[in-house]
Amino acid sequence: MVFEVVEWIIFYIGLGLTTLGALCDLFGSLGLLRFPNFYVRLHAATVGIIGGAVVPLIGVGLMSLCSSQLGVYRFAVATIFFLTAFVTMIVAPIGTHALAYASHRGRVVKVEPKVIDMLEKHRGGEK
Amino acid sequence: MKLSKIAVLTVILFIAYILLAGSVTAIDLLAAAIASLATSVIVADLLVRDVGKILDPKRIYYLVRYFIKYMFIIEPRAHIDVIKRIISPHMPINPGIVAIPYGVKTDYAILTIANSITNTPGTVTVDVDRDSKLLFVHWIDVKAVEPEECRRIISREFEENAEKIFD
Repeated sequence: MVFEVVEWIIFYIGLGLTTLGALCDLFGSLGLLRFPNFYVRLHAATVGIIGGAVVPLIGVGLMSLCSSQLGVYRFAVATIFFLTAFVTMIVAPIGTHALAYASHRGRVVKVEPKVIDMLEKHRGGEK
Repeated sequence: MKLSKIAVLTVILFIAYILLAGSVTAIDLLAAAIASLATSVIVADLLVRDVGKILDPKRIYYLVRYFIKYMFIIEPRAHIDVIKRIISPHMPINPGIVAIPYGVKTDYAILTIANSITNTPGTVTVDVDRDSKLLFVHWIDVKAVEPEECRRIISREFEENAEKIFD
């Protein structure tokens, strides 16, 4: 009895996390449309990485942990979700970093509007 | 020395394989053992420098504590901040690229700091200069220009934890 109650609570926590992820994705895409330039848009995309991918993956993992129709395999399914969340958390920022690095290095995008650009100054000092 | 690296890595990969496969028949155990051993022999030198660090319970404790704090305190705060900026009609952004010095030595620690900075909405690592030990960070709301001041606001917490976990 107690076990079932705990299972329901975990299930609904997972459901809540997944809903939160959907909201984060919505706000992230709004930000992608509204923000003025490439670099600022990257910040909106980051909302979609942790809030929009890692959090719902953990939520779905918790939900599958409590889905008794999956039998023993629910542990394997949940592990896959948690591992995917963990790997996404490590790998996704590397993609963001590569985009930002390449566009600044190749001067493809102007850093505009800006308050300060220390990297430009740093590079200028080197040459 | 190399053998202990391979052994530790094999055990970790073996556990991961069994958890992902979800069954413990003889053929699964055999496949897991062969696959994890072969992988460890190839990548042990690339991934592991010091075996003692993997097995150090203090470092694992700091890692778990940092992960929990990062997911439950730092991330929600940053998300709410950026989402407010997105939905606010005036769009109060004040972007720029600032330099942040770091003091850690190992690759894993630098990766942890850079990834933590990129993963929090509002700051994105653009470049790393390993000679002058500087990270260049695009910041959505530049509050300070001085490198030490930026370090205090953005990355001090990440750096302290990365140092405890990996250095």
